[in-house]
Amino acid sequence: MELIDLDAWLDRTRLVVCVGSGGVGKTTTSASIGLYAARRGRRVMVLTIDPARRLANSLGLQQFGNNEHRVDLSVLPDAQGELWAMMLDSRSTFDALIARVAPTPAARDRILDNHVYRHMADTFAGSQDYMATEKLFDIVTSGKYDLVVLDTPPVKNALDFLESPGRLVNFLDERVLKWFLEPAQRGGLAARLMQGTSTLVYKLLGYVFGDDFLEDLSSFFRDFQGLYDGFVERHDKVVRLFSSEQTSFVTVCAPTESSLDVAIFFQDELQKRQLPRGGVVVNQVHRCAGDAHDARAVLGKLAGTVRGDLPDQTVASVLARLGMAHKRLHAITEAEQAMTARLRVAAAGGGFYQEVERQEADVHDLAALTRVGQRIFRPASPL
Amino acid sequence: MSQDNAVSQLLDSRLVMVTGKGGTGKTTYAGALAVLAARKGLRTCLCEVDVQRPSLTSVFRVEPKFTPVRIQPDLDFANLSWDEALHAYIESVVPSRRVTNLILSNPVVGRFLDFTPGSREMVVLSAIGALVERYDLVVVDMPASGHAFSLLDITRSALGLFRSGPVRQRATELKGLLADARTRLVFVALPEEMVVNETVETVQKMRNFGLLARDPVVFLNRATLPSLTDAERALLGRLWEAPLDATQREFVLAGRWEDALEQATAHSQTHLAAQLGFGPVLVPPAAPGGTPKDIVEGVAVTLGRAVGLTRREVAWS
Repeated sequence: MELIDLDAWLDRTRLVVCVGSGGVGKTTTSASIGLYAARRGRRVMVLTIDPARRLANSLGLQQFGNNEHRVDLSVLPDAQGELWAMMLDSRSTFDALIARVAPTPAARDRILDNHVYRHMADTFAGSQDYMATEKLFDIVTSGKYDLVVLDTPPVKNALDFLESPGRLVNFLDERVLKWFLEPAQRGGLAARLMQGTSTLVYKLLGYVFGDDFLEDLSSFFRDFQGLYDGFVERHDKVVRLFSSEQTSFVTVCAPTESSLDVAIFFQDELQKRQLPRGGVVVNQVHRCAGDAHDARAVLGKLAGTVRGDLPDQTVASVLARLGMAHKRLHAITEAEQAMTARLRVAAAGGGFYQEVERQEADVHDLAALTRVGQRIFRPASPL
Repeated sequence: MSQDNAVSQLLDSRLVMVTGKGGTGKTTYAGALAVLAARKGLRTCLCEVDVQRPSLTSVFRVEPKFTPVRIQPDLDFANLSWDEALHAYIESVVPSRRVTNLILSNPVVGRFLDFTPGSREMVVLSAIGALVERYDLVVVDMPASGHAFSLLDITRSALGLFRSGPVRQRATELKGLLADARTRLVFVALPEEMVVNETVETVQKMRNFGLLARDPVVFLNRATLPSLTDAERALLGRLWEAPLDATQREFVLAGRWEDALEQATAHSQTHLAAQLGFGPVLVPPAAPGGTPKDIVEGVAVTLGRAVGLTRREVAWS
């Protein structure tokens, strides 16, 4: 089996998208890939969403909101490139998007003040996912970075975040807008027949959602009218970006049944959508090579020498404990190997397969991120 | 709170919503609590919320539908998909079935609802509310904590967004349901810093937004309390410093990991209690390599002891 050179993979990639369920170390993986690339001389942006606070601190992210923040790599003298990081704030991204596509400052202000918009930007399902793609597009096309690593939100429904721009575009579809804006102004017989239904439906919507809401919504649509083309254009570009040859999706998971299930599902979905699959990273893997060793035989002599002033009793109890702990570690390792074997069969042909051992402590500084990066970028076996 | 109190209080509720950071085991706890309720003779409904791949299917060997299906005595199982919840919702607020179909078959309405802020959350919450009317206890496997917050907070947004009409009225009713003393939230956490922090942040945020009528129950999953004496830990430290070959290292590392997990459990327990004003309920880890069914059953057996149920009474085949 020929191993895959992940350095070469990284060098030809300009956008890495990390996907996976929550709690599997996706943010850590994204940051480690970014740091590894920066050390190889790339100008890297890691775009992340709500990372663990200490990891954020290690990257120098505290209250930076949507600002691009350069991570200080001076403690790593061999680092030749740059590492930048940004924490996504979906509200300000949405506002910025409106500001960009609105035809006039007055139109922009009307939308930003609209009752419906204010709620939508905060609460509508998937707005965070959509904003991730929106911001991503900005960053990639800015030309400031030669590698962007996107840490996707842990979305429940798999690759929703890819479709959210589509949903926004659908919503702003001109026919929908017209229907709301001109419910009574249609010509032609067919249209007039339709109109009966439409008027009724409109009335019913008013009944269900309240007339005030429909009014708010109509004025929202009126202001949004001119924005449609801008959204469609951006959506097309984002879709092209995701399916580009220089983009690579990395599925991140942990060795648990549920996480591996999600990983297999992601790999399937990526294939179905013909999106470029880079490979799979399994984090938090345990390793235990030995079997049926006796702790006393392995460590008894050594424990006797280092014990110093500690009582005999302690040596005996620690050895007994280590024997049990080792047995448990062995059982965990075997169970994990059985589970990952299932993934490797199910995801065959889906790029590289890499395992990263469970780290001794939480990963929240550059040294730990460097170690994880070096584990990820060992030559990997193919799926 | 002791384990006994927590579990029996939950079984005394009408609605139990289980959430937590991704990967903590919230689905397992939702399944286990529902099984216990059924064993206590409560007519119970377990639901997943708009999931494409229901994760409890392999545990109960049944594919859940919107209309609850019986999976065990006194236990029904449902998947509240958004499409069907929407249909049920429109039916419940408009007078005639013909009109419901008219509304739902209109393509513009589809898009309108697909995008209207919070419409998904409203209809799903509404479907949960309808089940509460029909069962003694409804146990919901909620989305992960961030999304669970928006689901619960939607009544507030809806009251802001809809200034009149039946949706507003429904939002008011649902707000009442969430504020009911017999509605309880359950958080499943792990003895890990990130998970504990997210649990604390979500609980505090929900408190600030007035979404919690009572304190939630926090289960600290995979918890093992410290078991090494100071002398034992000192020896472990000296062994780690000594020159070790690969095999020796593996043994010492295994011991260090277990000790680290135990310390993390103690630390998580203290931190949660200090930040929340009440302590978590500790649940030991399952044996490795179990199937999802073994894991749910294991948690059910552990929690069942707190309410006087034996393994034989809890287990199912």
